[in-house]
This record gives sequence, structure tokens and C-alpha cells, in this order.
Amino acid sequence: MKKLVLFMAWAGAIAGCAHQEKPLPIFGQREVVNGDTVYHKIARFQFVDQDSAMVTNDTFKGQIYVSDFFFTTCRTICPIMKTQMLRVYKATAGMPDVKLLSHTIDPEYDTVALLHDFAKKLGVTSDRWHFVTGAKDSIYKIAQTSYFATAMEDKSEPDGFIHSGAFLLIDKDQRIRGKYDGTKEEDVDRLLADIKRLQKEYE
Amino acid sequence: MSKLPFLLFVLVATAGCNPGNKSGQSVKFQQYFVEGEQLYISHCSNCHQKSGKGLGLLYPPLDQSDFMGQHFAEVVCLIKNGKNGEIAVNGKTYNQPMPGIPTLTNLEIAEIATYIYNSWTHERGIIDVKETTKILQECGGD
Repeated sequence: MKKLVLFMAWAGAIAGCAHQEKPLPIFGQREVVNGDTVYHKIARFQFVDQDSAMVTNDTFKGQIYVSDFFFTTCRTICPIMKTQMLRVYKATAGMPDVKLLSHTIDPEYDTVALLHDFAKKLGVTSDRWHFVTGAKDSIYKIAQTSYFATAMEDKSEPDGFIHSGAFLLIDKDQRIRGKYDGTKEEDVDRLLADIKRLQKEYE
Repeated sequence: MSKLPFLLFVLVATAGCNPGNKSGQSVKFQQYFVEGEQLYISHCSNCHQKSGKGLGLLYPPLDQSDFMGQHFAEVVCLIKNGKNGEIAVNGKTYNQPMPGIPTLTNLEIAEIATYIYNSWTHERGIIDVKETTKILQECGGD
């Protein structure tokens, strides 16, 4: 009987927690300036997508977006990441305030034309999913310093690059609100749930 | 009497759990199939998916594939040697290079082939190592 009481208390605690959900964390360093907390934000960027359109921070103004780093000839984790990102694309189809942003980390090979072809074969369009390329240094720098994702060249790797399979959830204020393993279905389930939680913050 | 439904459940569940084992396949088939599944998961499912459904027009499906039906020897060869250039599967054209896996042994290729040719919609039966050895010699893969 004692155990049952304990169990009920535990179950009640969990139910109670689920009832009043905590807001998603805000990643990165923060500082207080004149009494206001200033959070880490994605730095200014300017890339070109699969339709040769300029993609900057303003492209995602008032938008939630999910970002990742990949390259089209990657045989290891990228196909799984793209399978999972396609899930996100399909799951957010009815959400006009959610977009996707995939950066190539092999801009020398992944030209605009190639990314166009890749997106087309994946069956997705640039109004919701941008595949961007740009100066290699800018891509690596934004990956490492803004998105806290690993992306760099390494000739000793089988495909020539090291990169993480992370999906980053960015809010409408360009802050990182979640990091997920884009190669794991359960983690992407969590991302899908977090997108909805984040949307509620702006309601 | 109360145990009967349970027993039935176990029987049905066990039978349903063995794809390709419809008529009591041999132990050898089971070994090939189980090994093949592990090899498929580590070498192939990245692109072709565990479900065998492929990905968009990038990676062709295996679960339903006219190509697999019509080009058996070529499939055995390309598991080892990879494939470049266009390939038509179920009326759709795919053109993403597939890397070969030269380190696979003839037995491992036989196991993978047994797995993919007895999963999803396929029921070809065991593909013996003798068979893959012969095919691989002809395609220059061995």
C-alpha cells in the first residue's frame, strides 16, 4: 500500500509537470546589458539557395526554422539526415511560420545547379526548404560560431569532411532553442514536438 | 481452455515474425537472412532505408523494384562494385552514384542478396554463395 501511495505521488508529479510546460531553453552565452538579458543570436549571413535566390537572416524574419549542415555526395550520415529532415518538411507542411535551411559544407562541388537538382529529386521546394551554398569560410564559421555545429574539411575522413548530424531549432528572434541528432528518429520526434511548443510562445 | 487463445497468439505471432519463412525454410536460409539483414542495416539502409523505400528520386526503392526482378546478376555485381550513371526503376530515372563495397566477401554478398530478395515484396528464396561466386566472376568483381 505504501508503494502505491508513492507511485501515485510520482505519477501525480509527472502529470503536474506536463501540465505547466517549461519554455524551451535558450542556447549560448548571455549577458545583461542595461538590465536586459542579451542572448546568443545567429550572426548575419548571406547565402544563395537552389533557385539562385539570396538567403539572409531576413529570409527568416518572423519565422521559426530548422537548420543543418550536409553535402550531397556524403554517404555516411547525410542520407539519414535528409530522410529525417524530409519528415520535418512533411510534418510542418501546414505551418507557414516554419522553414528549413540546409547548408552545404562542400560548396566547391555543391553548386546552385546541383543543389537545385538535389532538392528537386527530394521533391521539395525552396519556398519552405532552402538548400544554400556560399563562401566555404563563411559556412564553416557560421556553423561553428553561430549554430555550435561541427563542420570542417578533413582529408583523412572517407568523404573528406567532418560534420555533425545536428538539427538546430531557431526561434523567431534568431536564437537557438534546441539541438537534435538528425540521424535519430526519436530525436526528430522531439524536434517536431518542440516546434509546436515554440509556436505556442508566439501565440 | 483458457490457455488456448494464448497458445494461438504465440503460434500466429511466431509465424508472422518470419518473413520468407512461409514453408519452413532451412536453417541455412535463416542464417543467410539474419546475417544479410545485419549487413543491409550497416551498409545499405543509410540510403535505401530499413523499409527499403529509398529516398525521393535520389535513392531507388528496393521494396518494390522491377529492376531487381529483371537484373538479378547486375544487382549482385553492383552490391560489390557500385554503380554510376542512370538507372531506371519502376519507370523513374535515378542518377546518384552508388559506392561499391569491395571488402564484402562472396558469402556476405549472398547473405545481403538473400535478405533483399526475400524481404518486402520479394520471395526469391536463398541465394547461395556458389551462385554469387559464379556471378561475381562474370562481372569482374572477384
